[in-house]
Amino acid sequence: MLKMTHLSKVYRTEVVETYALRDFSIDVKEGEFVAVTGPSGSGKTTFLTIAGLLETFTGGEYLLDGADVSGLNDNARSKIRNEKIGFIFQAFNLIPDLNVFDNVEVPLRYRGMKSAERKRRIMDALERVGLASRIKHYPAELSGGQQQRVAIARALAGSPRLLLADEPTGNLDTQMARGVLELLEDIHREGATIVMVTHDPELAARAQRNVHIIDGQEVDIAEEPRFHADHATGSHA
Amino acid sequence: MFAYYLDLALRSLKRNKGLTALMVLAIALGIGASMTTLTVLHVLSGDPLPGRSATLYYPQLDPRSLEDMRPGEAPPKQVSWMDGMNLLKAGRADRQALMTGGAVAVSPPDAAIDPFFERARYTTRDFFPMFDVPFLYGHAWSRADDNNDARLVVLSYRINERLFGGADSTGKVLRMGGKDFRIVGVLKPWRPAPHFYDLMTGDYSNSEGVYLPLLTATDLKFPFNGSRDCWGNSANVDQKTAQCTWLQFWVQLDTPAKAAAYKQFLDNYSRQQKSQGVYQRDPNVRLPDLMQWLDYNQVVPSDVQMQFWLALGFLVVCLVNTIGLMLAKFLRRAGELGVRRALGASRRSIFAQLLVEAGAVGLVGGIGGLLLALAGLGLVRMQATDYAPLAHLDMSMLGATMLLAVVATLFAGLLPAWRACLIPPALQLKSN
Amino acid sequence: MEIGPILSTLRRHKITAFLLVIEIALTCAIVSNAVFLISQRLERMKMPSGVAEHQLVMVQMTHTTPARDAMARTQADLAALRAIPGVKDVTLASQVPLTNSSSNTEIRTDPSQKLPTLNATQYFGQDLIRTFGAQLVAGRDFRPDEYLDYAKVIHNLDLVRTQTSSVVITEALAERLWPGESALGKRIYFAGVETRVVGVVKSLVRPSLFEGDGGAQWSMIFPLRMDVNHASRYVLRTEPGSRRRVLDAAARVLRQLDPHRIILEKQTFAEIRTDYFRNDRAMAGILLGVIVALLTVTALGIVGLASFWVAQRRRTIGVRRALGATRGDILRYFQTENFLLATIGIALGMVLAWGINLFLMQHYEVARLPWIYLPAGALALWLIGQLAVLGPALRASHVPPVVATRSV
Repeated sequence: MLKMTHLSKVYRTEVVETYALRDFSIDVKEGEFVAVTGPSGSGKTTFLTIAGLLETFTGGEYLLDGADVSGLNDNARSKIRNEKIGFIFQAFNLIPDLNVFDNVEVPLRYRGMKSAERKRRIMDALERVGLASRIKHYPAELSGGQQQRVAIARALAGSPRLLLADEPTGNLDTQMARGVLELLEDIHREGATIVMVTHDPELAARAQRNVHIIDGQEVDIAEEPRFHADHATGSHA
Repeated sequence: MFAYYLDLALRSLKRNKGLTALMVLAIALGIGASMTTLTVLHVLSGDPLPGRSATLYYPQLDPRSLEDMRPGEAPPKQVSWMDGMNLLKAGRADRQALMTGGAVAVSPPDAAIDPFFERARYTTRDFFPMFDVPFLYGHAWSRADDNNDARLVVLSYRINERLFGGADSTGKVLRMGGKDFRIVGVLKPWRPAPHFYDLMTGDYSNSEGVYLPLLTATDLKFPFNGSRDCWGNSANVDQKTAQCTWLQFWVQLDTPAKAAAYKQFLDNYSRQQKSQGVYQRDPNVRLPDLMQWLDYNQVVPSDVQMQFWLALGFLVVCLVNTIGLMLAKFLRRAGELGVRRALGASRRSIFAQLLVEAGAVGLVGGIGGLLLALAGLGLVRMQATDYAPLAHLDMSMLGATMLLAVVATLFAGLLPAWRACLIPPALQLKSN
Repeated sequence: MEIGPILSTLRRHKITAFLLVIEIALTCAIVSNAVFLISQRLERMKMPSGVAEHQLVMVQMTHTTPARDAMARTQADLAALRAIPGVKDVTLASQVPLTNSSSNTEIRTDPSQKLPTLNATQYFGQDLIRTFGAQLVAGRDFRPDEYLDYAKVIHNLDLVRTQTSSVVITEALAERLWPGESALGKRIYFAGVETRVVGVVKSLVRPSLFEGDGGAQWSMIFPLRMDVNHASRYVLRTEPGSRRRVLDAAARVLRQLDPHRIILEKQTFAEIRTDYFRNDRAMAGILLGVIVALLTVTALGIVGLASFWVAQRRRTIGVRRALGATRGDILRYFQTENFLLATIGIALGMVLAWGINLFLMQHYEVARLPWIYLPAGALALWLIGQLAVLGPALRASHVPPVVATRSV
């Protein structure tokens, strides 16, 4: 489903180049629930943005659903994000000016779906997360947990092949976090592929498989962490 | 506290230079355009003789025939020779002057200067004291000279400059219309605006170059310049007996009681003229004072008024624009303001802080507007209209410009500042 | 395009949206009216004069003292002016179109009529119709034996009262006095004089439009010979190319013939027209300036607010991009939003434009605003709006999707 080989991401300024990812490889199979963990600054968010085609990468290879995505232009990348990927963000990222219904509708709009079809999917998705009765509410009128459920409904509505979650419970209290996590597990049981980035080991433990990133490189969780000569994120003048 | 707000305002304005420049530009354009037109309007609708205008009156009589009479018709705007002379001789007012416009051919004493035609005023002598005309050299001719065909002349400052290089020319002789005139006086620069005493020769025209006794000029049949309205079927050969109105008659009446009495006198005069068969119509007299007379004649050009409305509309657009931009600017800082509130700033102090910022924009915009207004008036002066040279910014309009700019901008800042001070206190900077 | 969500967003930003709408409405209203006023002024400046404008020049002179034998002086002047190479015709005219100085009279079509019909202007001068190049459309020009000396007539009005004299009038005056009828042979009465219409010219504008533009063409021409003591304007007809040269020569000739003469003015008719309509030209210029300034301010306002909205919604844009919106989608979102606001503003502006026009009609000489100016104003505002929003919208479309993942 998601396969990265020897992937690297370099941020260049005039004086330094900083590796956010270097020689990074991962292979997520269809139907897997993978947690990507690591301390902050390790490169997990960079991994997520590249996986979600929010950013391009510098070197290596990335196959999404078997297709090479490296040479795609902006419009093609938008189309893939829209049709194949569902995002769940730490800060929910609902559009504050739109009500719940309109928020869930956003990705469907960009897909050019008919109105009736959109409506059916939106209601299905909202029922799935238990918020069908709140369609007229605006994000500011919902609790954090409810907001994240709306975000999940938005991600689900487009029936994506891959669900990418970025610290989905980071902004929630324990009880709400549990609810959201149970929802994700439910969705996984129904066959979705989920890649979740988190720094919370407890959360990561709920996934089928963990991938650990340190300094932009994948570390097998079973092995002992390796030491690098250049410990502070590899920077070269 | 004000100094602190000012400091904050300047920092904030510096932070978004583009947006600040937009606001200042909009205010400056709006203020510049409105002040340009307002100044022109102010100059053109001003009082030509401040302090004196309330005691100056313009008697109107109706000597016309019954033929062509429309009910309720206003009396003519000028007087006939006969009526003018009668009123002048009656001498019922504190001062009175009968006058008309003319043009004379001037043969300069210096042969190097070509003869030229100059606008003249033929008038009786009270013209000078009544209108407070300032003399540089000499004085007006005497009352006796009004009646003895005296060949005397008073020169304007401009003509004296042109003919005598500005030197004291009183006592010298000037040849006009083929006759010799002795110069008795030279005026200081004098240009009442509007040219109130004779609106027939241009509402804002420059003052005449030479002033001659009325009787002298008419006896010599010097050319007439103005408007002549005739009735009946007479041949208009002799101006003095013709049934035509072509002269202006002004009186000075120092108290309202005298004005009322004078109006009664005009009424009696008309009645008497009718009983003697000179007038055909019933008495139809008016006695407007100077400002009423200008108002009645609608001297301010309608184009100038329309330009003023246009500029006002423009200013409103500029203000709406500024309100929008300020609202954007203030709400963009919602986070900062929330933290300020959390740190103990009251609504009132947030409001004050933002208004100071608006005022600062207004002040800078006002200065820009002032420069634009000066440029705008420069453009107005380049136009070929007769009021063009009058378009200057005086101190009062200068003050008004700055005041308008700051008040308008503060007004524009009210809504945005009010919206912004409703932001609840918050402990972290959060966008969206 | 997604109009629903845009409207819902705008509803949540009511004040800013409202201000922008108001600004667009005011601008649209003022611009429509200003464009209309400009077109009225331009139209006025093209007002037909009825004379051969490209061929006429005028010299205005006066004597320092009245000429002794004025008619002899005049005839000598005319002969000398006619001798200038290139001069086809010359006349001493009592008045000249568009030079402000005029003689006018109240006329009647029936001597027993209580009130006069209208006020018309009177042109005098030998060969005036031919020299002016006025186009005769009915009847005839004056015969040489019909001419009288103006100086003699004003000293003895019986010269014109004892007989019916001839008059040539304009087509517009004829149509106003006798609608649908031929004016030839009809009588006009004024000041105890009876005149008979012998000819009709297509057009001849008055020297001064003091009674408004409606009666601009109410002119009469009488067979009277002027002399230099009673008229000051020599009008010469020549070739368009030699106007300047003829004008200079004419002034020189007139000064040579009589040293006691002052040349007051020498102008081609083109200059006379320019002079006469200078206020209209100035007004049109000012109006144009206001339109440009208004559109500039409004455009800048749109740029400012749109930039603010883009900055404010940066994260939202990122989220939309992450959810699959293409750059084009984002660009179109802002363009559509602007189009919507502009449309509401324009609709409001049209009502306002109509109101402003009513106000102007009530207070000034302004005609009813033709509807065609409304879509013109609307189009201008739509264009300005789209141009102004393009910059901010492009900036918005370049917000990278990755901002969605950045925590604040």
